[in-house]
Parts: sequence; C-alpha cells; structure tokens
Amino acid sequence: MGKRKSLIKIKPKKFKDGEIVKVSFMVMHPMETGMRKDKKTKEIIPAKYINKVKFSYNGKVITTMTVWESLSTNPVFTTYMKINGKGNLTVTYTDNTGEVNEHSKKIKPKG
Amino acid sequence: MQRRDFFKKLGAAAAVAAVTPTISFAADAKKPSGPNNLSFKAAVDAVTGGKTPVVSSKIKLKVPEIAENGAVVPVTVEVESPMTEADYVKAIHIFATENANTRCIDVHLTPANGKAMFATRIKLGGTQEVATVVELSDGTFITASQSVKVTIGGCG
Repeated sequence: MGKRKSLIKIKPKKFKDGEIVKVSFMVMHPMETGMRKDKKTKEIIPAKYINKVKFSYNGKVITTMTVWESLSTNPVFTTYMKINGKGNLTVTYTDNTGEVNEHSKKIKPKG
Repeated sequence: MQRRDFFKKLGAAAAVAAVTPTISFAADAKKPSGPNNLSFKAAVDAVTGGKTPVVSSKIKLKVPEIAENGAVVPVTVEVESPMTEADYVKAIHIFATENANTRCIDVHLTPANGKAMFATRIKLGGTQEVATVVELSDGTFITASQSVKVTIGGCG
C-alpha cells in the first residue's frame, strides 16, 4: 500500500515554549467495519480499520489510543499537548491488517 | 380422525410455521453481527475491572442531540483536571451503547497533555446513547452519557 494522506494541525499556529496547544491528527482511511456488503457482488467487504495510534514528542510518548471499528471514515483525533522545546511530533498508526504508517511534524516554539 | 379436525390441526401448524421464522429473523436483524461483538455492560466491565463508575459533573460530553448523519457524529470529551503528576486523567473511553461493538476508542493520556480533552468522530447505527468512562490517576472511574437521535431518511 502506498502512503496514506495525513495531516497534523496545531492551534494556534504561533506558540511559545510551555504553552498548551490543540493538536489534531487527520488521516484518510476507509475504516471498514467488516459488516458491510458490496451492493453488486453481495460479498462482505473485509474489515480494515486503524487499531493503534501513538503520539510521541521528542521520543517521549504523550498519548496512546486503542481504536475499534466504530470510528468514522477518515478519522480525526484531537487532543492537547504541552510544548516543551524544539523537536518533532510523531504520530504512528497501525492497521488491523498490519499496515504501519508514520507522520511527523517539526515543532518550533517562538520566544 | 374426522376430516374437520384434520384441517383444523393443519391450519394451526401452518400458522405457527408462518409466524416463527419472521420472529427469529426480526431478532437477528436487531442485533447486527460483527467480528468483535461486545455488549455495553461487558465493555464497561472490561474497562473498569468490575467496578461501577460514578456519574460525575466533572465530565463535559459534547454530542449533538440530533445527528443528521449517523456515519459522522462528532464527540468531544472534556474533563476538569489539573493534569499534574499527582492528579491527572489516565484514560478516556468512549462507547456507543447500541452498536455491534460498543467500544469506540480508548485514549490513554499523560501529564504531558496539559489538558484533559479528546475529540473525534464516530459512527452510530441508530438512535442510542453515547457514554464515556474516565479513569483518574487515583484509580477511580467516573462516567457521563447523552442520547443521540439519528435521523436517517428524513422525518425520524
């Protein structure tokens, strides 16, 4: 599988060291439950959903999530984070089919 | 056996045969079968380890009362907490009480989050209650819930 489209949004855009900011992670994913049938072939579409998401900041784990199939297609995960110096925010997510992906964003606090 | 009795019995048997399959079919249709079927009570027990969570006003659960589309229902959970090493929110669990698999997501937070808040979007199979169970760092569980009306196909 090719790389999935994903996005990390930080609000507000300009932040200082020590500030608490809102972090949203969005990913394009079908989140198939394994209960839906294909209308034409009448076959059950196999389940494919994200089951693990991990937010880490400079190697330190901030938030881990265990996900089931009840989340929407193209899910969004929003939480808060305390800025603690320059570094990378990395989001690692795993599929129930074993697909592992990663997305990271540089964090540069000003002032 | 007289002819009259025979027809009476035949009619009764036919009526039973006609009614039973529809009943069992209706019961099946109510509970969609999925690979990870889990009832709400079993899911909460799995999270809390048998403890009963206490209803608390510390949790702010934001869900629309009427959802136009059950496939995308925004859910926001906010918990009042200082988020320090001594006192923080350990985990937020979100449940959809009538879905085939009632567990939606478990979020494990740390003091580095700074603020105990989590937002996502979930799928709902129909009109039902959305519940959240929050685990605090001292090992206690608190809960909150709200019902959501899903109006698929218009007037609902």
